Amino acid sequence: MNAPLALLLALIVSLPATAGAAAPAHQLYAAVAMTKAQKNSSTPTDSGLYTRAPDGQWTHFGPRALGVTSIVVQPGSVGRVILIGCSDGVVRSADGGKTWRKTTGWEVADVRALAFDGQNSSDAYAATCWGPLRSTDGGATWALAQTGLPKLYCQTLVTDPRQPGRVLLGTEDGIYLSTDAAKTWSRTASPAACILRLARSAADPQVLVAATLARGAWLSCDNGDSWSATDSASAAANLYAAAIDPANGAHLALGGWAVGVRISADGGKTWTDRSAGLPVKNIFVLSFDPDVHGRLWASTFEEGTFFSDDLGATWHDGGLYGAYGFDLTFLPVTR
Amino acid sequence: MHRLGATLRTTVGSGGNVRVKCENEISQKSWLKYRKNPAYVYILPPLLLMTLKLVCPRLIMVMAIGALAGQIGAATPVCSPTDLPDAEIARRFEARREAVLARATAVIDPAHPTRGGFIEVAACLQQGAHREAALARLAQLNAPMPDLNMFWMFPMAAVMVAGHDGLDQASWDRIQELWRVYWPSRGDTENHWCLYYSSLYLAAQTMPGAGPEKWFNGKSSAENMAEAKSYLEHWMWVTTTHGQGEYDSPNYIQEYLIPMSLLTGWAKDDAFRQKARMMLDYLIYDYAVENVDGYYGGAHSRVYPKQIIAPGNTPIAAIGWLLFGFGEQIPDPANTLIALSGYRPPPILERVARDRSRPYVERELKRTRWRLRNAGPDSFAIGDKRTVPVYKYSYVDADFVLGSTQGGLLQPIQQQTWSLTWRTDTRVQDAANTFFGVQPYSSPLEGTMFFGGDWDTVTDLIARSKADYDSEDKLPGGSPYEQVFQHGTALIALYDMPAHNRFPHITTFFSRDLVNTIEDSSGWIFTQGGAVYIAYRPFAPGTWKPNDWTGLLRRGTGGFIGAGFAQWGAGSRCYVSDAPRNGYVVQVAPARDFASFAAFQAAVRALPLKISTAAAPEATFTALDGSVLHARYGDTPSVKTKPVDYAHWPLFDSPFAHEIRGSERLEIRHGAQRYRLDFKRTLIQETVSSAQP
Repeated sequence: MNAPLALLLALIVSLPATAGAAAPAHQLYAAVAMTKAQKNSSTPTDSGLYTRAPDGQWTHFGPRALGVTSIVVQPGSVGRVILIGCSDGVVRSADGGKTWRKTTGWEVADVRALAFDGQNSSDAYAATCWGPLRSTDGGATWALAQTGLPKLYCQTLVTDPRQPGRVLLGTEDGIYLSTDAAKTWSRTASPAACILRLARSAADPQVLVAATLARGAWLSCDNGDSWSATDSASAAANLYAAAIDPANGAHLALGGWAVGVRISADGGKTWTDRSAGLPVKNIFVLSFDPDVHGRLWASTFEEGTFFSDDLGATWHDGGLYGAYGFDLTFLPVTR
Repeated sequence: MHRLGATLRTTVGSGGNVRVKCENEISQKSWLKYRKNPAYVYILPPLLLMTLKLVCPRLIMVMAIGALAGQIGAATPVCSPTDLPDAEIARRFEARREAVLARATAVIDPAHPTRGGFIEVAACLQQGAHREAALARLAQLNAPMPDLNMFWMFPMAAVMVAGHDGLDQASWDRIQELWRVYWPSRGDTENHWCLYYSSLYLAAQTMPGAGPEKWFNGKSSAENMAEAKSYLEHWMWVTTTHGQGEYDSPNYIQEYLIPMSLLTGWAKDDAFRQKARMMLDYLIYDYAVENVDGYYGGAHSRVYPKQIIAPGNTPIAAIGWLLFGFGEQIPDPANTLIALSGYRPPPILERVARDRSRPYVERELKRTRWRLRNAGPDSFAIGDKRTVPVYKYSYVDADFVLGSTQGGLLQPIQQQTWSLTWRTDTRVQDAANTFFGVQPYSSPLEGTMFFGGDWDTVTDLIARSKADYDSEDKLPGGSPYEQVFQHGTALIALYDMPAHNRFPHITTFFSRDLVNTIEDSSGWIFTQGGAVYIAYRPFAPGTWKPNDWTGLLRRGTGGFIGAGFAQWGAGSRCYVSDAPRNGYVVQVAPARDFASFAAFQAAVRALPLKISTAAAPEATFTALDGSVLHARYGDTPSVKTKPVDYAHWPLFDSPFAHEIRGSERLEIRHGAQRYRLDFKRTLIQETVSSAQP
């Protein structure tokens, strides 16, 4: 194949499948640090949130703070109330991103994940390297939420869309459950491992997957009460990424260091390496596109972001070369 | 043991507590040896004595004591600044301060419009020098979007407060605009936070009515000031109760003196300003009591390769000149800000810094940086943050400081577990007057213990700015496989390294300034640094390598941390041993204690020493002072069969101060002087015994 034709085909293939279709209901945000070009410096050349336009261009969004790791929008706020987690704490906008305010004090640092309660949208939760936080006013103020936790480090959490106040928290020492809106925590029957990512199935909320440090992936089919190992091939791996296809709960994805992308199409019974076509097998984030059924996004360590429409059989360049990705989040578009 | 303190009380008949009884006082025998140093003047005519009585009353006291001790003719030190009256100490400081300000303001030069930074601008605006040129330079500096986070904040805050009255409206407008649009990161170290919050506090103070819309973080000036003050007061409380986390860094002390100087100079809240001033005294005392001739001796939380090899390349070497007149004048931002702030160190600090009339032991309690993961069973919580106690021990002599911590992972990246630093005549910035050991170690375990990064990237990202961190010939760094124990002038280091250790060897640094190095058939290696004899006994044999044997620094790979390597870094070597169970004994002594180097060697060879690496590394050593020291890897070491009491390790303990853990105060003592810093009451009390010796 000659080069121009190959380029043309690549361009066509890489065009979003929705091009020309109805406007998507969600907007993709990437929380990243630009570390690839970081030389003789302790800070990345850029960092923060980037949002992807339909033409594939990424545009910076929100405060240009260091260590931005997550973004959530308060349900029912019509996109007005946005929370961002970063090294300095939680930053909140009450006007759709026009202005921002840090809503935590000096005690809070290194926010790794945020979530609004599944039923009560005034309640929000944060996982930080120094312990979890809870808010009862939509993220305007925060309180420590450490009761019942022997170790405070946490970097991932998920709420329950069906039950208010039910939160699963991934800590340094396994997964903890709160049923009282993070006032107290109790340990689940989960592995004694540092939990790096929790993902819940939108198709079947009883199903969750956990990615761990050096203990591989774990699956729960009872809403997080108990967990069992899955994917023996990555059982000792450092897995940073986990995702479940909202359109098909049998489609699971895992990613990690030197592991690449691993896919299960049968609810975790079998797994396949789907890293071919990616420039590197170091994966930090995986996320399914809620608007394009089956589209999986993957963020590598510094080698770019990619998407696949065939569960990883082929990959397409999604931009953000040089980025160290922390999260890829689809938020509802406000119209 | 016959103590000099008792002699003082008896002889002088002071009604006050002339000396504080302290277990660390050195025996009279050692003191008498010290006084035989030929560097001191033996005969002083009566006329000179009368003159000295007016100028240096303490000197007369020393001479009288010496005579009574039967040692005189006598071994009397020449008049040193320790003996100067307060007014003279203050006058000399004032002269240095003026020199600092003159140098800073001279940088801004209308003929060279691109010279100078924010701090020089601040100096000019405060001093009324070159105002138009300073404003023009400020406009240049403020043109681009800032990118240095808290290292932009503090110079900018300095301009806003020190240069407040000299700023024009255009400058103010741009400054306020930058605070609105630029989001400086708070960073992740203790010094970052101190810089960040002190700068934020003062910047907000200059805009008292500014609402949330005026600030990058959406908080009003009042809210920013409240958050900043809350953090800084918490930091002060933790430091004065449990010890500093980023302790005793000859580099990063700069990043604490700067924020405290800013607050001391310009905080309008009287009590808060007073606390900041007290913290300045506190931090400077911490340095003064462990310095030798201005060099910050002993163990350090953080040092860069350039500084660990050549200790005169540290900011404290420059700051020591301003504070106490050590070394030479070297431009330093902390000096400029201290000078601008109006802070004057109390004279007692200079006396502590310079009084080496007798060797002493300084014990200090510090703590590790907060451990957010992998905190370990030895950790404890302060509030909701976990840390581990750091037990510092330094033997401070007129000619050297030998100091150590217990080893382990106490600080990420740049820890110096132990070191020997000696007085030297070599030019400050060229001197390599140091001897130390390290177990080169890097791991994600350490990285994730102290940083919020990910396991698989944290080492790489650390090495992006600290290139030596992941290099086998690194010199700074802690190791979980290292345990160190010191008593007096003897030190035992033990290592028990697993097979999977990334760099499975230990390194002992032999600087280019060492002379007369001998590999003795007894197994000891003898060498000499300045007026210090050094004996080093490795458990397992090693090989000699040039320092920086990978060429990392000399190639310039380390960026700023390796710049100028040929000048400060070349010519030293390392003794490298790769036995997994290993260790060494170090015994040092002032040269004045021995008739010759050969006599020292003979004395050391005769010392009983039993070492074993069959199981856990172990050593039993009878030190030069007769103490039988025993250390076994994993166990509490002992002196004369008595285990070291780490549980009651004091916050400070030496002849100059004694404070227990949690005290929130520091009483500095020198002679009859008492200088009390009471952080609970935000109070400074200064007293002098009526019966001044």
